[in-house]
Amino acid sequence: MTRKKILGSHVKRLLSGVSDHGRRHLTEVETDLIQTNLLLEEAIDKLSRNFMAIHETVSAQQAAINLLLAGDTPSAQQKEQLGALSAQVGEYVNAAVTSMQFQDMTSQLINRTLKRVTGLREFLGTLGAHGAEMVPESDNDEIVELLGKVSMALAIQSLELRSVLRKAVSQKHLESGDIELF
Amino acid sequence: MAKTILAVDDSSSLRQMVAFSLKAAGYQVVEAVDGQDGLEKAKQQTVDLVLTDQNMPRMDGLQLIKHLRELQSYQKVPILMLTTESSDEMKAKGRAAGANGWLVKPFDPQRLIEVVKKVIG
Repeated sequence: MTRKKILGSHVKRLLSGVSDHGRRHLTEVETDLIQTNLLLEEAIDKLSRNFMAIHETVSAQQAAINLLLAGDTPSAQQKEQLGALSAQVGEYVNAAVTSMQFQDMTSQLINRTLKRVTGLREFLGTLGAHGAEMVPESDNDEIVELLGKVSMALAIQSLELRSVLRKAVSQKHLESGDIELF
Repeated sequence: MAKTILAVDDSSSLRQMVAFSLKAAGYQVVEAVDGQDGLEKAKQQTVDLVLTDQNMPRMDGLQLIKHLRELQSYQKVPILMLTTESSDEMKAKGRAAGANGWLVKPFDPQRLIEVVKKVIG
């Protein structure tokens, strides 16, 4: 292979490597942000609904208590309703507790995105630092050697970045998860 | 006397939710902020059940289980994982480390209490 072709192939490999690396990580960032948004939207929706339901139920309970305090004798139906209201509050609180766990999941997704952004910044920093070493007077051999070094450094950084980015949150909804006893 | 549960999680909101749910069911709850803290608290007192997250700074859930199982007093104490992780691979690792069960977040308080009752009464 001629020197010109060797240089061309190094440049091509470097550019396509940077492009693939960037695109892959940005796609993951996009996916994590969409997932975070879904979880947040669902959490806010469920928390709002449950808090309003708790408020309505407690108001209904208070109305029943007011009747009792006024000396009214509650009917069998009213007694049954009062008992049911307490159970309902418990159900709404449980649903709110499940939804409140959005923070744990979204913070893991956000931390993963932050690590990825930091990794990408370091990746671009490496590219810039090696680029600065390249002087206009460099001959083809020097440029090929430098491009080889850059590609190697970027490949190592890419592997290191991937090793700290394992996805631990796959949930897209706030439904309670599976339980398995061994 | 109320049974004691050690709840290990680096998320303060999650610890709050676990403690709120278990205390409402009559259990005593000791909280730990990560595996290392959990191990230290487990050594300071005997607990009836350990409920631990997996991904935590300093020491993760699997490491905590391995350390606990090395202690004579924790060889038979039930340990449940409560984590966002749901892969079969991670569950197998948990089982191999000595976990007695795997609960995927988010948890439903009622179901959590049912499982805890089933395991320690």
